[in-house]
Amino acid sequence: MTGHGRMIEVESLSKLRGGTPVLDGVCLEGAEGGVTVLVGPSGSGKSTLLRCLNGLETFEGGSVAVAGHRLVPGPISAGLLEALRRDVGMVFQQFNLFPHLSVLDNVTLAPRVVLRLPADEARGRALELLDRVGLAAFAGARPATLSGGQQQRVAIARALAMRPRVMLFDEPTSALDPTMTAEVLDVIVDLARSGQTMVVVTHDHAFARRAATWVVELAAGRVARQGPAEALLP
Amino acid sequence: MSRRRVATVALIVLATAPAAWGTGAAELDAVRARGELVWAADQEGGGPHVFPDPADPRRLTGFEVELADLVAAELGVKARFQQGQWDRLPLLLEQSADCVINGIELTPERRRDYHCSRPYFAYALQLIGRRGSPPAALADVADAGPAGPWRVGVLTGSAAEIEMRARAARGAAQVEVIGYDGTLDSMEQVRTKVLDAAVMDDCIFGFYADRFAGLRAVDRPFAGGLYTVLTSRTTPRLAAAIDGAIGRLIADGRLKALYDRWDLGGRQQMLLLRDADEIPPARRRTLVELVRQTLPLLVSSAGMTMLLSCVSFPLAVAVGLAVAIGRLHGPAWLQPPLTAYVEVLRGTPLMLQLYAIFFLLPKVGLALPALVAAILGLALNYSAYESEIYRAGLKAVPAGQYEAALSLGLSKWQALRHVLVPQAVRIVMPPVTSDFIALFKDTSVCSAITVIELTKRYSVLALSTGRIVELAVVTALLYLCMSWPLALLSRWFEARLERPAGTAG
Repeated sequence: MTGHGRMIEVESLSKLRGGTPVLDGVCLEGAEGGVTVLVGPSGSGKSTLLRCLNGLETFEGGSVAVAGHRLVPGPISAGLLEALRRDVGMVFQQFNLFPHLSVLDNVTLAPRVVLRLPADEARGRALELLDRVGLAAFAGARPATLSGGQQQRVAIARALAMRPRVMLFDEPTSALDPTMTAEVLDVIVDLARSGQTMVVVTHDHAFARRAATWVVELAAGRVARQGPAEALLP
Repeated sequence: MSRRRVATVALIVLATAPAAWGTGAAELDAVRARGELVWAADQEGGGPHVFPDPADPRRLTGFEVELADLVAAELGVKARFQQGQWDRLPLLLEQSADCVINGIELTPERRRDYHCSRPYFAYALQLIGRRGSPPAALADVADAGPAGPWRVGVLTGSAAEIEMRARAARGAAQVEVIGYDGTLDSMEQVRTKVLDAAVMDDCIFGFYADRFAGLRAVDRPFAGGLYTVLTSRTTPRLAAAIDGAIGRLIADGRLKALYDRWDLGGRQQMLLLRDADEIPPARRRTLVELVRQTLPLLVSSAGMTMLLSCVSFPLAVAVGLAVAIGRLHGPAWLQPPLTAYVEVLRGTPLMLQLYAIFFLLPKVGLALPALVAAILGLALNYSAYESEIYRAGLKAVPAGQYEAALSLGLSKWQALRHVLVPQAVRIVMPPVTSDFIALFKDTSVCSAITVIELTKRYSVLALSTGRIVELAVVTALLYLCMSWPLALLSRWFEARLERPAGTAG
């Protein structure tokens, strides 16, 4: 725990890729219950920054602390990564549902395997979450039979099933048409209002205005501007 | 679920495999205690030595079968037959046989390497040609024939081969010597004009002369020798007992009575003198008779083919998957040995691997029963191919799947177990199925290490009955009866995998 309400602390984060800096001294903070939105042009480092927050990317300088787990440059131990990721959920642009499992099994897998919940309890938790994202009727379906918007809502339920303290969203609506975008954003906004700490990478300023408590604008791997949503996104 | 059942079957097979682990030839007391003298021969070598009884192909007959029974009785035990390929029969003395009785010629090399009993039969070599075709006499092969050197077939490793190669080397014969695994093969090839002539022990030609009416003995027999019973140098008392037994059989006339029964004496003269039209045609069995007599044997050998494939393939898949995971996700120090494992097993012939397991491991004290060696060899060989298939399958799963699993807090191994491997298995289903069919057919190679499966049984029966085509059709139908359901089964399995798996995994 950070001890003063800060769930996310990024200090002077630097990352090189092929000798070129993709992140260059990035600092940001995220309060518990806050919705931090990362905006900026393509290639500005938004997704890389997000992926550093749950250890999918390593980095060369600075430090990252999320939900009390502190990452430093260089290789990270498997134990620390697993502990971090139990507390940090992630939703991807391409959904990444497990195609060989039913919708229900996608949601129960991690609670059963990682938290070792009994099957009944995992199932109950999953059905509750699927109901919350409006997909309880699809529990037995294969992911491939669902629309993109439905798949992304299942992916959100899947991440929430671990009861994460922080949720990361990596351009969650970029692969969706406007109708589907709306249904997914409703779920995310609802989640934000319920007090879930989250970091969202998006191009969607309308969404940012609707849900963000803090906006960070990146440009070429650096923080260009940051501040409250109403100030940055008039 | 079915995978688990196959693994159980494999365990049972391994556990109940003959309790002969680690034994080579047994010394006299062990043979007596066991109550069985295990003698090795090649039934494909044919008559009059050892061959399936035409009246009942499940039984073996031949003068050496009777001789083995007599010798065993003299030792106070029963004779038990062990199949092996002729040119490698002596190697079985380190494996599972106490002695070899199969027209083994007494040679200085064999005297050096094994214990050779006192002789039990005198043979001569006979040159065989087609009626009405050259060569007309043994002396004719000293000069090249009409189409260059004479093409002469011999049994690989036999005295006939040694003799003809020696004659060719010192210029006494212009011959190209071609080695065959069975004497009958060479006679068949003389008949079909692939060969000009064949050289074999006179008693073999005598026995089959009726079937090959178009062939004739060219000139008088030449360059004879003696048959001996081989035993291991490690069993001197068994060797002495066999010598004593043969001595008694010779002295009291039982051996002569045996040879008279098998017509191995005065018949030679008649063979040399009579013409083709004086040879009565052999009675041909009807197709129904043939099938009724051979089908039970073929079906039981088909069972062996099934057993070999169905036990070895799941093992190959399990090992292959483990190797693939090791190569993609294991520690760096594990890479060189795993790469070597795959390349060595892929880059050397299956037959060589089977020989190594069956014939070389006993030299370091690990003698495996033939069935276990065959299953192990097939499983190891195919595991190399399966590992490459699974490596490709694992790499074909999108990277996002692995990241999604890790992001949910799964460890690397949990992600493999629950997310990557199940998807890779589905991706590689078609090539794995086709590998299973390939292995199914490759089981025939196991006959090289004495396992009799369907192809070997066919080849033995086809040669002993002379009904090559009819039995080929029956055998092909049997293969089809097995592979067709397998194809349906794998298609069903493939279709089942298309649907999501249950929560139980």
